[in-house]
Amino acid sequence: MRPSHRLFIFLLLLIFLDGALYLHAKHLGNILKDDRAVQTIAVAGLGLTDLCVATEARYTRHPAVSDPMAPFMDHPGAIEHFPTGSFWQAPANSFIR
Amino acid sequence: MLIELKDTTKIYNQGKPNEVTALSDVSLRIEEQTMICLQGASGSGKSTLLAIMGCVFPPTSGSAAIAGKQLSRMPDRFLTIHRRETIGFIFQQFNLLPRLSVLDNITLPLLPLGISPPERKARARKLMEHLSISHRESFPAGQISGGEMQRVAIARALINNQPIILADEPTAHLDSRLSMEFMQIMADLKKEGKTIIIASHDTLVSEHPAIDKIINIKDGRIHVP
Amino acid sequence: MAMIPKGLEKQLNTLDFALSSLWRRKLKNLGIMMVFSLVIFLLGSFQMLTGALTSSADAVLENTPEITIQKMSAGRQEAIPQTYIKKLNSIYGIRAIIPRVWGYYFDESTLANFTVLALDHNAMPNGSKLNLTLSDGHFPKKTETGTAVLGGSVQDILELGDRRVFSLFRPDLSLKSFQVVGIFSKQTDLLTNDLIVMNVDDARDLFAIPTSHVTDLCVYVANPTEIETIAKKIAGLLPDTRVLTKSQIQKTYQVVFSWRSGFASICLLTALVAFAILAWDKASGLSPEEKREIGILKILGWETGDILAVRFWESTLVSALAFIIGCTAAYIHVAFFDASLLKPVMVGWSVIHPPFKLLPTVTLADLLLIFTFSVLPYLGATVIPAWRCSTVPPDSAIR
Repeated sequence: MRPSHRLFIFLLLLIFLDGALYLHAKHLGNILKDDRAVQTIAVAGLGLTDLCVATEARYTRHPAVSDPMAPFMDHPGAIEHFPTGSFWQAPANSFIR
Repeated sequence: MLIELKDTTKIYNQGKPNEVTALSDVSLRIEEQTMICLQGASGSGKSTLLAIMGCVFPPTSGSAAIAGKQLSRMPDRFLTIHRRETIGFIFQQFNLLPRLSVLDNITLPLLPLGISPPERKARARKLMEHLSISHRESFPAGQISGGEMQRVAIARALINNQPIILADEPTAHLDSRLSMEFMQIMADLKKEGKTIIIASHDTLVSEHPAIDKIINIKDGRIHVP
Repeated sequence: MAMIPKGLEKQLNTLDFALSSLWRRKLKNLGIMMVFSLVIFLLGSFQMLTGALTSSADAVLENTPEITIQKMSAGRQEAIPQTYIKKLNSIYGIRAIIPRVWGYYFDESTLANFTVLALDHNAMPNGSKLNLTLSDGHFPKKTETGTAVLGGSVQDILELGDRRVFSLFRPDLSLKSFQVVGIFSKQTDLLTNDLIVMNVDDARDLFAIPTSHVTDLCVYVANPTEIETIAKKIAGLLPDTRVLTKSQIQKTYQVVFSWRSGFASICLLTALVAFAILAWDKASGLSPEEKREIGILKILGWETGDILAVRFWESTLVSALAFIIGCTAAYIHVAFFDASLLKPVMVGWSVIHPPFKLLPTVTLADLLLIFTFSVLPYLGATVIPAWRCSTVPPDSAIR
């Protein structure tokens, strides 16, 4: 078999794999639709504002309702020390005054 | 007439301070099915003459007709196409690609021609059989003996059935037995209708009975002793 | 076999030659491809994970409180007096003001942070449907003091098992015990994993907050198009507060994971440095071996274009395959392995780990972004120097 044919077969396999993943995504999307309906009720009923992903610091547990300067609150020289702070960006400080 | 040079001149770096006239006013005619030995010290213009006859570049002035086509003012692309249809090269150090197999080395000139793998293989096998190197077909070219390399180089020069074979110091790295063997193969090829031009200092070449003519180059001109 | 036209056959031959020449240096080329796939995998995983969270937030947070009022003092949020509610009576168009008491409870034995939330859920929109979010039990009624609803992880971390009673410390270290009356369904883990929901009075007791104060106020308006105007009026009336609107909260998650966050910047920087090294290596010129090979091919009748085509195929194959493999692996990583390589960075020292069920979002824009940051520099770094091969004269092989 010539090398280019092997490449085509490999590409075909990748396309097949990605196609399967696409179908999986569709399927997962349908499951999540049900979950989201329930989640929406929780958000409305409890007035939730944030996703529960990181629970180590208030500015990553509730980025939407905590201050962007939260890491500096402990004392003026306090620098960012929670690992999640590097992953989560401080929200734009755009509340109404 | 297969090769016809008339007042052929080649000047490198024309118009620059390091201008060199490598060939001046060379005229020669080479007929089909002949074997020519080209002699000359290094720097004599021998390689330049070989390159012009091999359609590598056109002359600066004068005319050079190879297999019925004028090289002067031929664009690079057509020169390349003409070269691969007309000329088979055999180099001093064989210039094989050492990591490629013997078969792949031989069929290298056929790839840009759009020839399919089965046909390439068939052509190469015929030549390998002819030159008795079939048993080395899938060996990397870097791992075979000098004599075998030389045959691979010959097979590569013949693969596109080119009418002219140019060999540049082909026996320089071979012992006398292998050199004689090489000349024997060349003589056979001549009998089959090829035109062969060998640039060589080797007396084993110049004194070989199949050589029709010896051309001596000195200071960019044909030297008649 | 069917006849293949000469032009196509030539392309196939070129492709064959490129593949075999890649294979001849397989250690080097597979190495490059691995590193390359890894970089793309990292970028892709980051993008798919944050994309999935962003789109979940988008879909779920549409019913977040319309206006949230927090009292600010010395740069900190602090409890807001209940009397502020009366001050808002003059604003026309407010449908409901719901005071909330909430905060964090740090469990010292497990080092976990819980979110304690207390409000009169019957006054909230969809409050009557709230029991649908529980896998069993019900929300604490006003009359049921000392009861709570727990998020999935809270139950696990407190190691309750079948027990229905647990205790939390008040600030003065006295214990307050609670009866579990409901557990949140697994379906809402993304929002409620660390929640302890209780009655307002219980929360006040737990946190020692005086009855005159609450944590913040949720405001709902009669006409949703009026949210911004009413928020401005509130801000004018209560100058020592911060007023957040629904649209601001929703915007948070569109920017909270961005390429400018520290982690992403480091990923991108690593990728760019890798390619800078590669480009430097390639741009420093052709090796003597490469030059020799090009000279030989040229004199054997290969045109400059043919040799460039080989180079082009080599680079394209390495980068395109790495791109496809990296992106596919990233999807599998996020969808099937819960992004387990990125999760530790994302949740940091959190004791509560969210059991993600994430749909990796793959948008064309994301793919293009990754493509621009990875494949394009590689192509540039390899194909452009290949133009140098046209400077190798064909007679170099016979000189």
